[in-house]
Amino acid sequence: MSKTVPPPCPEPATGPLYWRSLEHLAETPEFRAWAEREFPAGASELRDPHSRRDFMKLMSASFLLAGAGLTGCRRPVETIQPFAKQPEGYTHGLPQHYATAMPRRGGAVPLVVTTHEGRPIKIEGNAEHPLNAALARDPADRHGGTDLPAQASLLNLYDPDRARRYTFKGLNSTREQALDALAEAARKFADRQGKGLCFLLERSGSPSRARLQQLLTEKLPQARWFTYEPVDFDPPRRGASLAFGRAVRPLYHLERARRVLALDCDFLGVEEEAYRLIRGFARGRAPKTPGDELNRLYVAESLLTVTGSNADHRLRLAASQVFPLAAWLGAEVLEAGGAPAPGTPAAAAVAALREAASGLTPEVRRWGSVCAQDLWASRGQVAVLAGHRQPLAVHWLAQVLNFQLGRAGGAVGFIEASEPASGTMAALVQALHGSEVDTLVVLGGNPVYNAPADLEWAKAQRQATTIFRLGAYEDETAPHCDWHLPMAHYLESWGDARTADGSLVPVQPLIEPLFGGLTELEVLARVGGLEAVKPHDIVRGTFQGLAPEGVFEENWKKYLHAGYLPGSAAKAVEVELQWGTASQALAGMGAKPPPSATALEVVFAPDNRVDDGRYTNNGWLQELPDPITKIVWDNVVYLSEKTARELGVAVVDENRMNLRVPVVRLESAGRTIEGPAWIQPGLADYVVGVTLGYGRPAAAVGRVGGGTGYNAYPLRTTQALGFASGATLQLTGKRYPLSCTQNHWVMQGRPIVREANLETYRQNPQFAQAMNLPEPPYGLDEQHRPKPIYPNPLDQLKPDATHWWGMTVDLGACVGCSACVIACQSENNIPIVGKDQVRRNREMHWLRIDRYFAGPTADPQVVNQPVMCQHCEAAPCESVCPVNATVHDDEGLNLMAYNRCVGTRYCSNNCPFKVRRFNFFDYHRRPLDKLYQSPLTTFTDGEWEVKRWLKNRDRGSRPQEEWDLLRLAKNPQVTVRMRGVMEKCTFCLQRIEAAKIAQKIQAGASADVEVRDGAIQTACEQACPAEAIVFGNLKDPNSRVAKAARQDRGYSLLEFLAVKPRVTYLARVRNPNPAMPDYHQQPLTTAEYLEHGGTLIPHGTGAAPGAGSAATNGGH
Amino acid sequence: MSDVFPKWTNQLPLKLVAGVLLLGGSAVAGIWYYFTPAYTRVGYQPIQPVSFSHNIHVEQLGLDCRYCHDGVEKSWYSNIPASSVCMNCHNQVLKDDPKLALVRESAASGRPIPWVQVHKVPDYVYFNHAVHVNRGVSCVHCHGQLNQMDEVYHAKPLGMTFCLECHRHPEAYLRAPAEVYNLEWQPENQTQQLADGARYVKEWNVKRLEHCSACHR
Repeated sequence: MSKTVPPPCPEPATGPLYWRSLEHLAETPEFRAWAEREFPAGASELRDPHSRRDFMKLMSASFLLAGAGLTGCRRPVETIQPFAKQPEGYTHGLPQHYATAMPRRGGAVPLVVTTHEGRPIKIEGNAEHPLNAALARDPADRHGGTDLPAQASLLNLYDPDRARRYTFKGLNSTREQALDALAEAARKFADRQGKGLCFLLERSGSPSRARLQQLLTEKLPQARWFTYEPVDFDPPRRGASLAFGRAVRPLYHLERARRVLALDCDFLGVEEEAYRLIRGFARGRAPKTPGDELNRLYVAESLLTVTGSNADHRLRLAASQVFPLAAWLGAEVLEAGGAPAPGTPAAAAVAALREAASGLTPEVRRWGSVCAQDLWASRGQVAVLAGHRQPLAVHWLAQVLNFQLGRAGGAVGFIEASEPASGTMAALVQALHGSEVDTLVVLGGNPVYNAPADLEWAKAQRQATTIFRLGAYEDETAPHCDWHLPMAHYLESWGDARTADGSLVPVQPLIEPLFGGLTELEVLARVGGLEAVKPHDIVRGTFQGLAPEGVFEENWKKYLHAGYLPGSAAKAVEVELQWGTASQALAGMGAKPPPSATALEVVFAPDNRVDDGRYTNNGWLQELPDPITKIVWDNVVYLSEKTARELGVAVVDENRMNLRVPVVRLESAGRTIEGPAWIQPGLADYVVGVTLGYGRPAAAVGRVGGGTGYNAYPLRTTQALGFASGATLQLTGKRYPLSCTQNHWVMQGRPIVREANLETYRQNPQFAQAMNLPEPPYGLDEQHRPKPIYPNPLDQLKPDATHWWGMTVDLGACVGCSACVIACQSENNIPIVGKDQVRRNREMHWLRIDRYFAGPTADPQVVNQPVMCQHCEAAPCESVCPVNATVHDDEGLNLMAYNRCVGTRYCSNNCPFKVRRFNFFDYHRRPLDKLYQSPLTTFTDGEWEVKRWLKNRDRGSRPQEEWDLLRLAKNPQVTVRMRGVMEKCTFCLQRIEAAKIAQKIQAGASADVEVRDGAIQTACEQACPAEAIVFGNLKDPNSRVAKAARQDRGYSLLEFLAVKPRVTYLARVRNPNPAMPDYHQQPLTTAEYLEHGGTLIPHGTGAAPGAGSAATNGGH
Repeated sequence: MSDVFPKWTNQLPLKLVAGVLLLGGSAVAGIWYYFTPAYTRVGYQPIQPVSFSHNIHVEQLGLDCRYCHDGVEKSWYSNIPASSVCMNCHNQVLKDDPKLALVRESAASGRPIPWVQVHKVPDYVYFNHAVHVNRGVSCVHCHGQLNQMDEVYHAKPLGMTFCLECHRHPEAYLRAPAEVYNLEWQPENQTQQLADGARYVKEWNVKRLEHCSACHR
């Protein structure tokens, strides 16, 4: 990347002069001068005047100068500015797709990113990657799932609060000067062999970075390397390495596992690799026929997590008690096939394990024993996962059990996994205080915010003489640095990574760095004084060493095109269990007393949405309801009902619009934090859950994330990074308002989410239909189907339509991760509305995940249900629109013509599923904290809003630099809705139309206009890592959706209304173990339904199979 | 008792009502005629920065539409060509002509020529060129006799009524795919057009797209 300076952007030629001189357009010097600039005033932050951007609708609005009256009644003049030289292969209007990867701590998520007009706007998974392609059931079934952070990371690219400038000691500097400073440091340390140079890095699986680290270690042997991650997902590798005596880590294939045990491991939620573990797991949860096998999930955890909500059997216990349980369970398994010979290390280990479990209650032991029996019975097809916060002993034990129980059937394999040696944070602090650090290079991370509190990092960091920091945001760490360099987002960077199976994947930039940021690779190369400093060259250099035989350029192009290097996956290695290390693993792991009301256990959890704080400023994630609590824009202090009662904490929902909870003070090891309390069903008793990543001031994190939640990091010390014991909790007397999208948690016996145990399903495959109302309110028609109340104009049009669009949602597969919600938001330009508006039930998500509890509050069962517009054939919303803005098309979609809508909101009133969303304000163009202010009184960018509006009517009242960036994130194929307009799920109409058009173009002068199955994937379908959503053409009986909708488990929501929805839900099937102490004969929601007078017996006549379901009604 | 109101007020209510009706009627008529795309858009002929003549290039020289507008068959957007396309010929033909100065400058410097947009549908309409030209709709139906225009003008209203005319009766407008870019082609007579059109509609499974989803997303 060459040194380019942003061009100065003068104001455009004045309005009247421009208008009058239209005849002399080509000759006017002002116009010429204006036309020379790529971007009009205000977009000067965007770089590179010599790149091409085609304006079209985006920029042409800026031509709307205030020439009132001079243009007459004609629309204002807009120009088309084509290329001067068109890039080869570029066709304007067609999106381009590039394969890349999102680097994660230990691995990466393989992605394919869609770009429009040179900017990335949607992230999808890479279906061709071996990890995804291996799970394809047939050639049409190509799916590459993503997870929540991958979908939401797009908004971080366009974040107005990103680090944009190079600063030295807080003052603006330039890129050249910063690079010179790096070169200076390189020269200095080259002489000294790197003495006094320290690197603080985040964990990464990038081979290029490892290679650079190797080169730098050779060149500067005295330089020291340290790695720090606030949430460390490395323990499974360390546990496996300890157990087998070589550097290996487990690779799980949950699709081959019949039994899964999660020891405080949220593998479906926040743990690494969730995107592929969800897929493997969901394979065993969605039976196509009653004869299919299901897997079984046992979870032992302290907080209620997404994984716990999907468990067949869940044991809640404090995090410190997970090891004793695991020890008991492990001892049972290890003795199940015959006790090890006395005197062997194995026998000693088993004895130590039994000893460690001595403090367990009989109930917990029983739970562990029965579970162990079940695991042993399925040996070969078992996967045991341990969570990141558990001590090394638990991880060691988990891998020992995997060795015994999981290898034979392929559920768990082990692959080579060595990481470059690096020091810990504590060692770095020691070095800093010992004045051994001359120059500290901090690459990424935010140690001032998230380093363990006892290290007092801010003071320690300042001990270094010079500090370079590469940061994505000018956050808490920035003021303590000398040089602050803006980091390029991964969508703007060259790099590489390895996915979970070890395959090499490229990180390809989709756009030039918007603010001229640097990548980690470049900074390392520059500090090391290496020849190749451009990340592109570095990555090519790494590829050179790893590429297969053949022409390099060909291999390189194929690698970038496919998004992975074929054949680069790590080979599974044969491991041997080293019992000799058992004593090392179990050292110091005696029985610990369980927590009590005066000695609470604090459990630190990375937040389901903002992770460890890296996404705090991401509006999409802030507004996403937490999968478990459904709270937005805040984090809370979790307490179980019993704990709260004993400590005098009462959370009362005074009325739905006004949730104000008590603020509690939590004290542990002499440190205190305060946070809003929340009573969480399913939490272990005397455990206090705190989530990381919040509580940051706006100055450090940005406009969006500032002031949300409380900061839990001050409680965290190096001794207790996962959980801390001996804490106390008091009320402070203060109250704090929370916004929660789902206050009401129970279904109260209504069959909204339908589920049954596997046994019931096998005996009664049509149990879901049996839960339909036997006598619908409006009577039956001649064919004994419920009579619809609303007219159905679709009946006449249906036979001639080419497609009948429909969708199925498999509740067995859905884990509740909410990646679909963010994908929908990303694809459809859905705005965020802010905490206050969510409190008024005005959140705009088209797709919501309803989460219900059933059973006792202390230990409930949880169910999740994604709900979107059901596209009812006899839609209640269509008949009540006074202006006919919502109509039905012949292919079954319920349409919204935004330009017709006047905002009556009668449609939303009439919708029984409450899936319609109204734009009460112009959420896109008005700043969210000023929604209630009149535009006449707001003052933006130093000008009165009225004046600004007259200059540019399209811009809105957001500050210009915010507006410019946020505009880039919008998908141009979807209308951006304004205030006063109703919106809802459209089944991704833009994708449907794109596929239909593509098919027609290909058909040309022929009748082959039917879209092939699999050509259309709605955003939610494509993002879902569990493949729970299937969309397609119901008219084609062989399409995946038609087959899915015909399944026994299929039912419609609120079927008694006879609105004939095009969305079919597949009931959930649980697979509990009858021998377990917490076995329930029916899932608790079904038990509740039966208690309320429901029945599971299929009705003889009446509204049985076919009632309300469009799939089975098709063709009538 | 003298008259409270003067005599002429006796006629006043009638005159008022008549006046209001007349005024209202003319307002409605005026808006009906003057405020529709048929009046406001048809005939719009802005001055372009470079006086490119379709007549010379298409009619006289015989260039195919797609030589310049190469994206029309693939994308929703029918692109204005890059300056380098113009320079393919004009680096030899009229290579010093002052009328082409802007083109040469643009090709040399990389700065685009700011063509004034003539045809534009509102933002809430999503029109796709490729599906139309590949399925038998010729350029002339929406853009008029472009091949005879010295300066491009807005020939058709392009309002929703205009689009619906064809969408409701595709048989009146479809032509053989080979003739789509033949802007001079005419059907022999209306009957022949309807007969051929009906055949295309049947053979190509052309739907009468009247549902909102066809254009509005």
